Amino acid sequence: MTIATAGRPSVARLWWRWPVGLAAMAATVFAGTCIGETPIPLSIVVQTLANKVLGAAYPLDPIDMGIIWNYRLPRALVAASCGAGLALSGLVLQSLLRNALADPYLLGISAGASTGAVTVTIAGIGGGAVSMSLGAFAGALTAFLLVALLARAAGGGVSARGTGQIILAGIAGSQLFNALTSFIITKSANAEQARGIMFWLLGNLSGVRWPDVTLAVPIALTGLIACVWCARALDAFAFGAESAASLGIPVRRVQIVLIGLTALVTAVMVSIVGSIGFVGLVIPHAARFVVGVRHGRLVPATALTGAAFLIAADVLSRTMIPGQVLPIGVITALVGAPAFALILLRGRRRP
Amino acid sequence: MILQARNLGWGVRRLPIVQGVDLAVREGETLGLVGPNGSGKSTLLRLLAGILKPTSGEVAVEGRPLSGLPRRLAAQKIAYLEQQADTGEAITVRDAVELGRTPWLTPLQPWSDEDDRIVAGALADADLRGFESRFWATLSGGEKQRVHLARALAQRPRILLLDEPTNHLDVRHQLSMLDLVAALPVTSIIALHDLNQALTCDRVGVMAGGRLVALGSPEEVLSVERIAEVFGVRASIVVDPADGTRIFRLDHLR
Repeated sequence: MTIATAGRPSVARLWWRWPVGLAAMAATVFAGTCIGETPIPLSIVVQTLANKVLGAAYPLDPIDMGIIWNYRLPRALVAASCGAGLALSGLVLQSLLRNALADPYLLGISAGASTGAVTVTIAGIGGGAVSMSLGAFAGALTAFLLVALLARAAGGGVSARGTGQIILAGIAGSQLFNALTSFIITKSANAEQARGIMFWLLGNLSGVRWPDVTLAVPIALTGLIACVWCARALDAFAFGAESAASLGIPVRRVQIVLIGLTALVTAVMVSIVGSIGFVGLVIPHAARFVVGVRHGRLVPATALTGAAFLIAADVLSRTMIPGQVLPIGVITALVGAPAFALILLRGRRRP
Repeated sequence: MILQARNLGWGVRRLPIVQGVDLAVREGETLGLVGPNGSGKSTLLRLLAGILKPTSGEVAVEGRPLSGLPRRLAAQKIAYLEQQADTGEAITVRDAVELGRTPWLTPLQPWSDEDDRIVAGALADADLRGFESRFWATLSGGEKQRVHLARALAQRPRILLLDEPTNHLDVRHQLSMLDLVAALPVTSIIALHDLNQALTCDRVGVMAGGRLVALGSPEEVLSVERIAEVFGVRASIVVDPADGTRIFRLDHLR
């Protein structure tokens, strides 16, 4: 058994990774809280957190406290949830569709969510009874179904391997839904609204406050728990859906639940911060590169990397140009597009 | 009867691929399935594995209908080795074989040392020792086939359904694969192309045009007349003088 123990440590011995992962996550959120346009000393950040969380009573400038507690911390928490959620969505899509390029943004799910959100907020469909997130969810599901149907009709099929059909269908879907979004904005929004929406569409965390945290964190955690729970099922899809079925996976149920969750996570994140591209594409590949392809390790690694990546991107977006906030989608695309190219090139060299 | 099919049929858009198959498989036997390309062998195996839902008839495992069995329990009883399953993932041989334990594990019932032992045994049985950390993409066709066999063995099934398992294998590994399957204390159904390999099975079923046209001992089923009728080739039987084994010599019909 020496080979087995050397090659693959048993699960029981890997439990230490969870506390370490949590600590790493807390450290990244903390870093995101410390860094910003206004330099605030570390001690004040710590004292603010102590005041708010532990009920300490350090005398502090209320403006500093406000920046840290009401502005930076919720922003870091939402960025972490978004990064983790989008990265996991990409991972699930890549595994279930067996396509290295699958990602909620490329498959048009984000675009569909934007359209759904805009339909509710600007065009006023639902008469206030439907929340923006719910509209985004409906849009995301519609977009994915359309893209999947188109890919299937074009001969690709959702589970077919090595075909670009689903990606091509995703491009068509993205274009269609982006056009619909623009159409709705132009038709129904006034100039002020239009400017705000356009900025939101490119991804923007500046409006994030505590209520957003209470939506984003539970949704991201739900996604993470579902993925951890289904890690072996995701592994079993390595040789395709038929092989997964012969390994005892209820294929249809797993596909519906996980893809539905992917749409939900993407929709909620889009409705809070706008559509941020490439996180779902790049982060799972980066995580695979480090921890390998088994989902037991890959799922937590992807969530953690995604969270850290988006916090870092948010910090960059706030500090790169002094006095200006870049849309975070610009940063993720600047990193993501070259990474996309790398994945394409690597795929070509593979035998 | 460990596995039973009654009036089993499956078709696409009214085109029947498999129809009216009645089959009762005895515990522990090795059943060979032969038939020309497109005769429905693979489809029959997928129906028996429960991966395809039959459009008519039913399959029963140990007397209970397969359609009423949750996938996980079915996979604990039946392992199915499909033809040419491939992956673009950078997985190792050990990873691929460990997948065979999937039906026995739940999130609450994690990997154990027992699973390690089973995987090591399956790797050894498929002659894959030393290959554990090789990546899938670096394997030859025959090596991939053996990894699939090891994965099916790691599933510890009671019934093993193998779709042309000797494809891509070199002569030595073809023989050892068949010997291994025959020696395993499991019930196996093997789709085969080589009629001489079919002769070594306990029983042989012949598929033609989606139907099971014959079933019985290899000597009675694989008659010269039936081979001519089903495969359209002329067979002559040659006896090895060393031990009296019968071998087919096959020729074009004239």
